[in-house]
This record gives sequence, structure tokens and C-alpha cells, in this order.
Amino acid sequence: MRLAQKRSERIGLWLVSAFMLILAASTIYPIFFTISTALKSTREFIRHGFSIPTAPTFEKFVTAWTTIKLDAYFMNSAIVTVIGVTLVLLVSSLAGYALAQMRFRFRKAIYFFLLSGLMIPVQVVMVPLFRIIVELGMLNSRVGLGILYGAFFSPFGIYLTSSYFASIPRELSEAAKVDGASYWQIYRLIMLPLARPVLITLGILTTLSCWNDVLLSLLVLQDDRTLMVGIASLRGEYGADIPLVAACVVIGAAPVIAIFLIFQKKILGGIMVGSVKG
Amino acid sequence: MRNERVVAYLFVLPALGLFLVFRFFPLVAGSVYAFTDWNGIADARWIGLANFRELIFDPVFRDTMRNTAWVILSLPIWVGLPLLLAVFIHLGVPGAPFFRAAYFFPIVLSSIIIGTMFSIIMRFDGSLNQLFILLGLEPVDWLGDQRFALISVVSVAIWAHFGMNVLIFLSGLSAVPPEIIDAARVDGANLWQVIFRIIIPMLRPIVEFVAVITMITVVTSMFGLIYIMTGGGPGTATYMPEFLIWLMQGESNRLGYAAAMSIVLFAFVGCIGVVQIRMMRREWE
Repeated sequence: MRLAQKRSERIGLWLVSAFMLILAASTIYPIFFTISTALKSTREFIRHGFSIPTAPTFEKFVTAWTTIKLDAYFMNSAIVTVIGVTLVLLVSSLAGYALAQMRFRFRKAIYFFLLSGLMIPVQVVMVPLFRIIVELGMLNSRVGLGILYGAFFSPFGIYLTSSYFASIPRELSEAAKVDGASYWQIYRLIMLPLARPVLITLGILTTLSCWNDVLLSLLVLQDDRTLMVGIASLRGEYGADIPLVAACVVIGAAPVIAIFLIFQKKILGGIMVGSVKG
Repeated sequence: MRNERVVAYLFVLPALGLFLVFRFFPLVAGSVYAFTDWNGIADARWIGLANFRELIFDPVFRDTMRNTAWVILSLPIWVGLPLLLAVFIHLGVPGAPFFRAAYFFPIVLSSIIIGTMFSIIMRFDGSLNQLFILLGLEPVDWLGDQRFALISVVSVAIWAHFGMNVLIFLSGLSAVPPEIIDAARVDGANLWQVIFRIIIPMLRPIVEFVAVITMITVVTSMFGLIYIMTGGGPGTATYMPEFLIWLMQGESNRLGYAAAMSIVLFAFVGCIGVVQIRMMRREWE
């Protein structure tokens, strides 16, 4: 189909395109501006706030990494993200397999009960959750925060994995059972390899959720900080040193931007599947 | 097949355990706390509906609700802009692949990153005001002025989320049969008629769906932006429900009261959720 047939339509489309270009520039510009600011010294930023850095320097990155202890925060974020993602992958692949491929009482009820988790926002359970965190000795514990991520992000994972496992014919595991395989072996040797694509997507999306989280992290780690909370707290102490703040932002965003550029298709595909259910 | 049943329960158990302890139980406990004056230290005392009664007359809560209402009024922008963008990308406007990538990009950034970037840009001496001065306009205190703070935060929230909605609309558009568009063209419909009379009406269920999930997003995921950009201020100009709950339980130690607010928020989200399920069911039929 030729999109624009008449001259007036063609002009209209170019106008739309121009508007969309401005919009695209406005999504890219803040990131570009932040990176260029991070590469400036404080003095250069004050003198030439908007030009491209004339003498790019990594001085602010070094300060951010060492003086502000961003290295420790980065490590914290990496640890809680790894624990959270591992837990989500394990818990949702097990539950997704059972819910989609096995027959047992209350199967449907359990499925909908778990999915209702998608409808409970963190804020709503924040108050009692804090008490549970304290009682279970999870306060200020990175492992504890990782477990919380596992609890909060696995309902989406269960939805994703169970709808994937449901598309695998049950005859496959029946045949393996006849050959003497245990349920664990079927899960480990047949289901997990088959589910690889969906598990990769789930892993990436969960990585983004854990890495970007603020609310749970503020709740659990009160003495220590994750990277996002560390960046959020710059406002007070270092707020005046704009290039330094910008450098911290670049450090915090670099991993997710890298993930986006590498796995763009997987991320967008996963969000599309997830958005169908909400 | 008794064996299968036992194994199935074992496989579901970790998910169920995590869910019960960290999500379901807090939800139940929260609805009990809402009727107490618990402050986190002393024993909770049952005070009936007093928290809810206080809510009605609490000026801060009222301000928060007013802000929420204003933000919900901006819903047509949250939905309409992505809809039009998605349609034009789908139709292959010049530069479409580039726009696609550029619009999706902010989806992966956290609210802290986005909030910090825009705090720098929207500072009184930031680049936005420099641009204003360049254009001969009065500089505006975007985040510090009562009249502009909420608009500024909402604009940034739209910036952060619109790519997501474009994505959902694009997945809906892929289900629109191209033959229908071709047929309309053959019958002499112009481009704008095709867009507004054929494509957008066909997307109606998805428009409703996006409106609902965006509404939930608006009331439950602006915490990070508010926390970093305005801290709720100036005054109560940018208070949103979740921010207020966090404030009450963290800084004021009024956990019972915060739980009561949570119940109200959950009821609101629950109502939207029911509408959403209704819509999805209608789609199935």
C-alpha cells in the first residue's frame, strides 16, 4: 500500500514526521545532555553548560566511584539483583511447569490466587510488610531484599512461564514418565531447556525491575544503600556539583542501557506478552 | 496418580510460600492495622473507624486526592499521544524505525535516573530555562513553584511511560488486517479518514485497556519521581497517595493511619482492576 497518494497527504505526513522527530529528540536529549555534563569539570560546566565538552575528563566518574562509595552501592545492587533474578527464575519455572502441565486439586484456584499478586501494589502492603521484615531479621540484609524481589516479581514470572508451558504438549512428559523419568528429571532435563527463550526474557525483565527498584530497597536497607537509593540521596550532600551527579546517573543507567541495546527485541517482546494480561 | 499430586504441590510450594508471607499476609494484616492506632513501637489499640474518619477531614489527604484527580485528568495525553504515534509508526511514516527505537528507550530507565536527569534540566538555572531565556521568555521555577510543580512532574512521568503505551498500541495494530485499509483506500478514503474512521475505532478495546493500566500506573508508580524531583513539595503540591503512605509510615510513625490510606488506595486500584477484568472478559466473548 502506498501510504500517501495525494500531494496534500504527503506534506501532512512529512509534518507529522517532523513533529515525531522533535519528540524523539526530546527522549534522547536528556541522556545525551547528562553524559556530556558528566564528562565536564565543574568549572567547565558553569562556564559552558550546554556545549559539548571541550576537554572531556573522567574526574567526576572517579570521584563518584571512590569518594561517594558508588562502588559499594553498585556491588549491593548487583548482589540483590542476582539473588532476586535467580529466585524468580527458579520459583516461577517450578510453579509454571506444575500449574500448566500437572493435574491436581485447586490448580485453577492456586493459579488465580498467585496471579492476584499482579494487582497488589507494593505501597498497599508496605506497612505490615515492614513489620514482617523486622520479625524475620531481614532488616539491612541484602539476602532479605533479594528474597523480597523474588516474592514481588514472581507472579509476573508465573504468568509468563505457565502460559509458555501450557503450549508444550503433555504427551512429551507422559512419554518421559513411561521411560521412567522422575518429575524432577522431566523439569530439569526437558522443561527447563525447552523454556529457555521465555526464561531469558523473564530474566532480563526481572533484572531491570530489581536494578531499578527504590521502594523495597528503601524499606529493607536502612543502613546500607543500593545504587538507585545512593543516587537518590546525592541531592542533599552533593546536589550542587552537577557534573558529579550526572556521572553518578551515567553509572547507574549504563548497565540497563547496555541491556536494552543488546536485548531490545527480547525486552519489547516480553513487555508485549505481559501487557496483554496487565 | 497420587504421586503427581504430591509433586505438583511441592513444585508450587515455593511460589505459594513467598506469596503468602510477603504479599497476602501483609494485605490481610494491613486491613486489620487500619483500624488501630499502631505506631510501630507501642502495642496497637483498636480504634474502629477513627482513622478513616480522620482521613476525610485531613487537609493533606484531601490535597493528595486533588493532585491525583488532576493527574487523572491528564489521561487523554497519556493515551492519545502514544495512540497517534503508534498509528503513524505502523503506517510507516518517514523515519519510523528510528522513532520506534527512540521512543522505547526510556522504558528501561529507573524513576531515580529519570528524575535526577530532569532535576538537572528543570532547575531554575537549568537548560530548560536557558532555552526559555534564549526564546525571550520568562524563566520559570519548574519544580519550586506551586503552580508548575505538579505539571512538571506529570510531564516527566509521561515522558517516562509513553513508550510503553506506544508498544502496546503497536502490538494491537499488528492485528488490524491490512486488507481493510487497502479496501478503504481503493474506495477513495483519504489518509486521515483511514486513520480516524477505520484504524482508531478498530483499536477501541486496546485504547480502553491502555487507559485502565495507565490509570493504575498513575496512582501507584510515581513515587520515585516525586521522591527525587520535589519531595512532595512545594507544600503539598506534588503529594500522591503512595508518597503520603510512605511519609506516614516512615517519618511520622503513624502506621495504623498509613494502613488505612493503603486500604483506600487498594480499593481504588481494585475498582479499576474490576473494570479491567470486565473489559477483558467482554473481549473474550
